[in-house]
Amino acid sequence: MDNLELLSDYSSFLREKKEEGKKIIGFISHDNIPEELFDAAGFIPLRLLFAGNDEFMDASHDYLPPSTCAFAQSCIGLFSLKPNQYEFLDLIDYFIVSNHCVSDICASEIISKRFDIPRLNFYIPYTNNENSIKYFKLELLELKKQLEEINGKEIKDENLKESIKKYNSFKRKLLDFSFLNISGSEKLKILQKAILYGPFFLPELESFFEQRSDNEIQTSFNSKEVLLTGGSIFINDPLIDLVEEGGGNITFFDSWIGNNYYSQIIANDILDSIKNPYDILVHRFKNNNFGDHSVPNFLENKILQLEKIYQDHLKKTGRKLGIINHIIKFCDHISLLSSHLKNRLQEKGIQVLNLERDYSRAIRGQLSTRIEAFLEMI
Amino acid sequence: MKTCGVDIGSLETKMVLLDDKNIMDYRVGRSTFDFKRVGSNMFNELLEKHNLRKSEIYVMSTGYGRNTVSFADDRITEITAHARGVQYFYPEAHSVIDIGGQDSKAIVISEKTRNVIDFQMNDKCAAGTGRFIEVMAGALEVPIQQIGELALNSNNPASISSTCTVFAESEVISLFARGTKKEDIAAGIHKSIARRVAGMAKRIGVAPLLVFCGGVAKNIAVKKFLELELGFEIVTPVINGKSSAQLTGAIGAALIAQEQRSG
Repeated sequence: MDNLELLSDYSSFLREKKEEGKKIIGFISHDNIPEELFDAAGFIPLRLLFAGNDEFMDASHDYLPPSTCAFAQSCIGLFSLKPNQYEFLDLIDYFIVSNHCVSDICASEIISKRFDIPRLNFYIPYTNNENSIKYFKLELLELKKQLEEINGKEIKDENLKESIKKYNSFKRKLLDFSFLNISGSEKLKILQKAILYGPFFLPELESFFEQRSDNEIQTSFNSKEVLLTGGSIFINDPLIDLVEEGGGNITFFDSWIGNNYYSQIIANDILDSIKNPYDILVHRFKNNNFGDHSVPNFLENKILQLEKIYQDHLKKTGRKLGIINHIIKFCDHISLLSSHLKNRLQEKGIQVLNLERDYSRAIRGQLSTRIEAFLEMI
Repeated sequence: MKTCGVDIGSLETKMVLLDDKNIMDYRVGRSTFDFKRVGSNMFNELLEKHNLRKSEIYVMSTGYGRNTVSFADDRITEITAHARGVQYFYPEAHSVIDIGGQDSKAIVISEKTRNVIDFQMNDKCAAGTGRFIEVMAGALEVPIQQIGELALNSNNPASISSTCTVFAESEVISLFARGTKKEDIAAGIHKSIARRVAGMAKRIGVAPLLVFCGGVAKNIAVKKFLELELGFEIVTPVINGKSSAQLTGAIGAALIAQEQRSG
């Protein structure tokens, strides 16, 4: 399935849901958004997982300067131009304004304000101390209140708990899927679709597992293995093709579309022992070591996490991973400390490419050279 | 064993024919807009001159246009090629700075394996590339071959932004209007490019022995200002007393081809 077909199917899916009376809630897809709460309230979450291009970035300059995060520019440009294949954006009823990073705040606010989509605020703390945790729960309860007001009915605790279990099973299945020995591009396509659709994709994911024979799963690749960290490869981004054309295969996605999403699994004993579903979401937030939002020490945590993945992979397969740190231009969140991340990992003998880029077509040749040279190096 | 390294750069195409480790011949010409034709013509010229057939030569392409070389047997990036090529001249080289027509690169070579262990490339921007000097030479109305020497006559380099070619060009025009000496502006231009490239190179820990290559390495003022910015002397490749800084990519590609063929 190519991306045009994916977007067209997704449009039909959302239209159907709209016709069933569901409301659609859009948001920039960071890993602390409680989509289970939207699900329990009967909303359909629409994660913005779409890559930019020159046209989107240009169009966004009516609203913000070009020296802003290229992903934020692209999200705004997407709403500004709304090409035919993205017609489903017109179906969004509410937009979440959150604060994963400064660009998230600005882009979400602009999208809500300039494109007339009523906003719902959901701000998350940067630390996970006692006060922050209390604040996070208050934000959850405030969001619940806003959703109840829109719907005119209460979100029952048992419904929320069911939604939490549903998403939890879905993430477990995705985590299993992430370890399949298939090409990076095939894996990414399914991950993108899965995270876009959420648990609605579970039957397709299960049938994917069934269709694959053991032999296929054992297929090995001669390509050099790569772990992608930093910015996600969003839908319609040709980056994965450049990696594969250069002789690499991304075997591990440490990003929003990837590990940050499906590794946030709540253990069964927690699900059983914590009665209040909001406390379960609080527990997950407190234990979210996968994202790059929390301070202090998010970089130290990231280095430890990458080293662990690298060592586990080496132990399991006997092969080294090269790390591509994908930096979307002007994403200060990832870029400012990228040299430090690279130096620290290189001290441990792990090769890192800091690959900074925007969504411009003009740099395709340069990107290829950097990726190929890195693959030659490892 | 004969191999040929073909380095298709954005401005110039370089070709080196090796017989074992000896340079049999080389060519340098404008890439123009038709990389394919220029490369083929140059290669056919070499075949004819040395009475060779294509089947007798293993061809390795590199550079910006490496994928356009239809007669190449394999390809390699210019980063790997330069790292190998500079070792033809300086086997103990630690680092490389390559400034070409549209990009600049810094490379660090492993002392142990002699392979690339780190590199950095400029962004999609002409600042810090040969194009920057070309534009500035135009603004100063000085032939590009003379701008380096002019810069070395300055005792008081002007301050010029290193971040953007367009802004730098307007800075040059206003310096001109204020009566700043041409040599001081020229020195400022070279200092600016050196500052930008040295900044990029320092981030990956370049150190002596650093080999400066690419077309811009023929410019003596860029070399001098790079040395000042880096704080140590750098070297450029020379064959028979003539700069061969442009050839390191093609030489590296041809050497890698030899190594691949001999297993």
